[in-house]
Amino acid sequence: MDWTALGVSLRLGVATLIVLLPIGLWLGHLLATRSFPGKALIEALITVPLVLPPTVLGFYLLVTFGARSPLGQAFASIAGHALPFSFAGLLLASAIANLPFVVQPIQRAFEAIPSGVRDAAACCGLSPWQRFFQIDLPLAWPGVLTAAMLAFAHTLGEFGVVLMVGGNLPGETRTLSIAIYDRMQAFDDRGAGVMAATLLVVAVGTLMLTTTLAGRTTRRG
Amino acid sequence: MVQSFQVQVLRWCAVVALVALASVSPAGVQKPPVVAAAASMNAALTAIAAQFEQARGRHVDLVFGASGALTRQIRDGAPFEVFLAADDTFPQQLTGAGLTRDAGVVYAIGRLALFAPTGSPLTVDAGLAGLASLVRDGRVTRFAIANPEVAPYGQAAEAVLRRHGLWDAMRPRIVLGDSVAQAAQFATTGNAVGGLVAWSVAVAPAMAGRGTSVVIPASDHPPIRHRMVLLKRAGAAAAEFYAYLQTPAARAILKSSGFEVPE
Amino acid sequence: MADTPLRVGLRQAGPIPLDVAFDCARGDVLAIFGPSGSGKSTILRAIAGLYAPADAIVRTGDRTWSDTAAGVHVPPHQRAVGLVFQDYALFPHLTARGNVLAALGHRPKAERVARADELLAQVHMDGLGDRRPDALSGGERQRVALARAIARDPAVLLLDEPFTAVDRPVRRRLQDEVDALRRRLDVPVILVTHDFDDVVRLSTHVLLLERGRVMASGPIADVMRRADLPWLRDAVGLGAVVDARVAGVDLERGLATLDIGGPALVVPAAGLTPGALVRVRVPAREVILATQAPAGLSLHNVLAGVVTEVHYLPGTSQVIVQVRVGATHLLAEVTGDAVSRLALTVGAPVHALVKSVSIDLHVVS
Repeated sequence: MDWTALGVSLRLGVATLIVLLPIGLWLGHLLATRSFPGKALIEALITVPLVLPPTVLGFYLLVTFGARSPLGQAFASIAGHALPFSFAGLLLASAIANLPFVVQPIQRAFEAIPSGVRDAAACCGLSPWQRFFQIDLPLAWPGVLTAAMLAFAHTLGEFGVVLMVGGNLPGETRTLSIAIYDRMQAFDDRGAGVMAATLLVVAVGTLMLTTTLAGRTTRRG
Repeated sequence: MVQSFQVQVLRWCAVVALVALASVSPAGVQKPPVVAAAASMNAALTAIAAQFEQARGRHVDLVFGASGALTRQIRDGAPFEVFLAADDTFPQQLTGAGLTRDAGVVYAIGRLALFAPTGSPLTVDAGLAGLASLVRDGRVTRFAIANPEVAPYGQAAEAVLRRHGLWDAMRPRIVLGDSVAQAAQFATTGNAVGGLVAWSVAVAPAMAGRGTSVVIPASDHPPIRHRMVLLKRAGAAAAEFYAYLQTPAARAILKSSGFEVPE
Repeated sequence: MADTPLRVGLRQAGPIPLDVAFDCARGDVLAIFGPSGSGKSTILRAIAGLYAPADAIVRTGDRTWSDTAAGVHVPPHQRAVGLVFQDYALFPHLTARGNVLAALGHRPKAERVARADELLAQVHMDGLGDRRPDALSGGERQRVALARAIARDPAVLLLDEPFTAVDRPVRRRLQDEVDALRRRLDVPVILVTHDFDDVVRLSTHVLLLERGRVMASGPIADVMRRADLPWLRDAVGLGAVVDARVAGVDLERGLATLDIGGPALVVPAAGLTPGALVRVRVPAREVILATQAPAGLSLHNVLAGVVTEVHYLPGTSQVIVQVRVGATHLLAEVTGDAVSRLALTVGAPVHALVKSVSIDLHVVS
């Protein structure tokens, strides 16, 4: 059992949430409540990772941030290491790949709130921030939870992009899904089996936690 | 009610914090050097690294893959410090790109093996007569080799099949592994009759009991010259491991792991 | 300006055409009445700041909420406005008390809960504060919405079709409660409705709106005595609205007399006490005109007056005749033939015959 790889996977999942949830809440709220020119383009761009293979994302990340690109060299000179083959690079890839998983459920949840309720909140004297935290967020909570769960579980299962831009570095970019692949290549079926089972348990646990939390919130409001 | 929502947020934050705490990697502050090596080196290098750690008290992290794929990653900035390829040309590309300390050294000569998993109709022989008769009878379901474009053992396998006049007939039946390790995996699982893989993989302890294999004469394919290079970013520990690889102790392990060792 | 509690001027060509201007005084209830799609709700939304027409002026007291020429648009949460939405728009995740509390942010924290319960009691919702909207009936939700709207201590109270979602008996009770409430509040009240019953029962002033334009506006009696409003005739039928005081009640005969500033109007006595203020509506179709006072009739009201206006309804043979009786005006809908037979012209003396039971009446206070 590769505990380090499990740690990398969990850390990547949590870090992805920390990066993506604020962005997802902001974008989801914006797209659900406003109409503006270019909205269709933004929605398409957010959805694109859902339909494109991870290899396309991996390709562009390597081309954009690889050691041979100006941007990649600039990043390396600041951070001291290349963005691909680092945890930060994995996080960037994961954040982009998970954008639709986070934004879409949140956007749907905000859209489900009748506009009259939002107007009523404004007429009650609640500022936009108060409306967001006291009205929008509690009403959209199950959607936000679903988004977080989807992104977390999806990050744990991410393979293609990690394989391409991760470089399989222990403790840094070797996630559990990569470690399983690695163990299989080394004919270590037992090791792979233990890790696959671990991933399965974590995934089921995440889903159960989400359902429990969402159910409790819906009942209590 | 508003308070109840805040309680929910707090509870959720607590869950996140717990998971974050639990996921903090136990890895040390000082990161050990990462050694990238061709997939055929898996068993041998794992043994050498263990012995190195015992003898010198230093740990190295090992990453295995197809030589071509690893070369690409190094050019894109992967933080490897030593690169053990399964051929000459990939390390030379890196040297040409100015990414290595020097031209490196050939540390092993690889051999190819014909492998048949347990229960396969294929009988293995160095002259590939068994394979040829299966091809004639149309009984080859799948046959695994490494991808010639990224794996030196794939290039060698293609050369062997061409030399025996089997390449064109078998082309539709061939499955390509990303590396020689994946090719071996394809050969042992699934419905392949067998495959041409690295001798070092065929004799690896993990493969024991999975099938039969025979080494292919070196004269049937261009030599598989394993070259290693010390990359520019390499630190003292990496350099020490690089030197250790050329010691008699390491060479003995290579010899017993399915490689020939140059003088 | 400070003496005008609410001044509104809205104008734009589209997408929702608007061209309205009105004032509303403290304690007045202005009913905006018109067919659906005439822009009624848009006016309320513009006052609340939820909608910004191309050209808008909204002032209340000495504060300017909207002035497009000056580039002023105060956001809705900074306008002290109480708005009761058509479908209530309660916060589904909050209790009745939580809904009211949400509008009490301007009050000191310590007194908010007590104030919320006080407001709920005012709308007869005591003891139901812990219920969530999905556990309340339509009428109860309406009351919570009302409590929430006044919780803000609004400078203007806006009611958007407030009774559409409740059935008739509940509606009557709610109308009375709203009426009582607005008398206590002493702020301008704008009521948007497409139900004429709301207009007659609640408003002091009325503004008839059609496709964003004002067809008529003013005190309800002044507007309702106009003969030239064919749209109003088609929608609800014309009929003068008169506020009157009960002069006397004859329980034996079951009749009451109303003082309308001239000849007394006789109506059924049920529920009336002397001195009570009532509002009556005399439908134009129920008024018969005669040049001479007839005798031997069952009806009680034979009111002598003078023809003040004759309005031929275009495209029909009907004519609306306005008759001044004492200090008030009545409308009568008759045929063109009758007008010529009786030679009804402005200034002609005439008798208006009204059946006492045909008069719509309700007690104001």
